[in-house]
Amino acid sequence: MSFAIEVKNLTHLYSPGTPHQVTALKNINLQIEHGEILGIIGHTGSGKSTLISHFNGLLKPNEGCVLVDGVDIHTNKETLRNSRFKVGLCFQYPEYQLFEETVYKDIAFGPKNMKLSEEEIRNRVLRAAQYTGVSGEMLDKSPFDLSGGEKRRVAIAGVMAMEPQVLVFDEPAAGLDPAGRKALTDLIKDYHRSTGCTVIVVSHSMEDIAKLAKRLIVINDGQVAMDGTLSEVFSQSEKLTGMGLDVPEITKIFAEIRKRGFDVPPDVYSVEYAEQIILSMAGRRDAQ
Amino acid sequence: MISDITFGQYYPSKSVLHRADSRAKLLLTFLMIVFLFICKNFLSLGVMVLVTVLAVIFSGVPFRMLLKSIKPVIVILIFTALLNIFYTKGGDVYFEFWRFSITEKGINNAVFTAIRIITLVVLSSLLTYTTTPTDLTTGLERLLSPLNHLHIRVHTLAMMMTLALRFIPTLIEETERIMNAQKARGADLETGSLIQRAKALIPIFVPLMVSSFRRAYELAFAMTCRCYTGGEGRTRMKQMKLSGRDFALLAICLAACAGVIVLNIFFNPVI
Ligand SMILES: Nc1ncnc2c1ncn2[C@@H]1O[C@H](COP(=O)(O)OP(=O)(O)OP(=O)(O)O)[C@@H](O)[C@H]1O
Ligand SMILES: [Mg+2]
Repeated sequence: MSFAIEVKNLTHLYSPGTPHQVTALKNINLQIEHGEILGIIGHTGSGKSTLISHFNGLLKPNEGCVLVDGVDIHTNKETLRNSRFKVGLCFQYPEYQLFEETVYKDIAFGPKNMKLSEEEIRNRVLRAAQYTGVSGEMLDKSPFDLSGGEKRRVAIAGVMAMEPQVLVFDEPAAGLDPAGRKALTDLIKDYHRSTGCTVIVVSHSMEDIAKLAKRLIVINDGQVAMDGTLSEVFSQSEKLTGMGLDVPEITKIFAEIRKRGFDVPPDVYSVEYAEQIILSMAGRRDAQ
Repeated sequence: MISDITFGQYYPSKSVLHRADSRAKLLLTFLMIVFLFICKNFLSLGVMVLVTVLAVIFSGVPFRMLLKSIKPVIVILIFTALLNIFYTKGGDVYFEFWRFSITEKGINNAVFTAIRIITLVVLSSLLTYTTTPTDLTTGLERLLSPLNHLHIRVHTLAMMMTLALRFIPTLIEETERIMNAQKARGADLETGSLIQRAKALIPIFVPLMVSSFRRAYELAFAMTCRCYTGGEGRTRMKQMKLSGRDFALLAICLAACAGVIVLNIFFNPVI
């Protein structure tokens, strides 16, 4: 069986052959399974955005290749174009890509490029609007009259409406308020649950990542430094700190609690789980 | 940052020419270009070429950078040379064919104009290679400041130029970002008829305009917050002062100009 995305020996240089040459990615190897939800973390400038731009062929590898569904996306024009529709990319601050007169038209831009029928386009736009919480009356407004958070939703709907097999988010919650952050992580989670498609999330927030992802990839200076489940990665907090990263706050608190001799599990990454544990501990104590 | 340097083709170095006052460089470049057109024979042209070669050597700008700036004018160069060869007649005839003839005067003219154009390009690109865009506009502002008496707001114009130059790399970056975002939504920019391609630019152009306006407002706001009120009463952090170096440059150029005039008078013109 082929992987949703497979990256083989990928190296990417910016401005190769000039004095400004930057090695953004060095010999990356990755396998992403169908239907998984994957988090990518790494310090600023580590190459995360560069990596995901390879997933739909926006950049061309200097070495190595990227396979989507087992097909090298740079085989010919056809495969390249297909990869754009199979892998939906939602960039950092996607709200700056809006351009149409109405929100509806803007969400329909992707599906239209796929040359779908009017009816199918309409269905997809409405479905994407529903997932992202874009209300019916908003669809007729100009995208430039919306608030920043609303624009973000519209932009995400624009990518979702293409119904790609793999959906990639670069810093989806950057610049949103806590309620907006939570709404967005819930939205991504729901979307993943109901469509079953592969979701990749790049984030600087360990909390958000811990809430979303099952598997975590850590990029450091253009190389894959760690690749494993949440607990495999977050259990190496010293290594993470050395790379300018961190573990979720709640994990640190629970590590301290463990040090004081309490019997709590080591893999506490979300406040919800922490709450459960504390409540059950309190319950046990009351019972005694 | 990379994109900062690429524009205005500034070549960073600490050479004599780099350190010279931008006003002096602007004026002298202008003077030299005028005299390039006053030259009437190969000897006077030779003086100008000599000065230019010296300037190139002292600027520390590598030869291949200069070649890069000559490249775009090569077509014009060839075109004018051909016109000169075939259409100027006079002196010995070297070659005749049907209605065309190649004469001594034609060849002379062709070579003369070619050298003139190359020198012109090298001189003007030396100015931008050795002067940062900011210094260039500041120099221009100071040189044009007498126009203030005619109620032309030189400072405002210069500030507009500085800002425009400053934002070109930003705009390039932004365009790239938006293009990628729309390509990710399947926008096809490479194929189709001319009209289709023009239409395909709308999804890039609109967000670019929107963000440019937003940026302009933000910048204006930030400038106002820092009490920017235009040129009046504004002082400079970097005071421009002419130094011995600038006077030496001036002397060399003036000597060259005098040489051109003398050689023009004492030798026969070829053009
Ligand atoms: N267009 C470009 N030209 C040249 N260098 C670039 C370009 N884009 C990125 N880089 C460089 O490549 C490296 C990786 O950049 P990238 O944008 O992938 O980082 P990132 O992990 O996404 O960072 P962030 O978390 O800040 O978004 C950086 O060192 C950056 O300076
Ligand atoms: Mg990034």
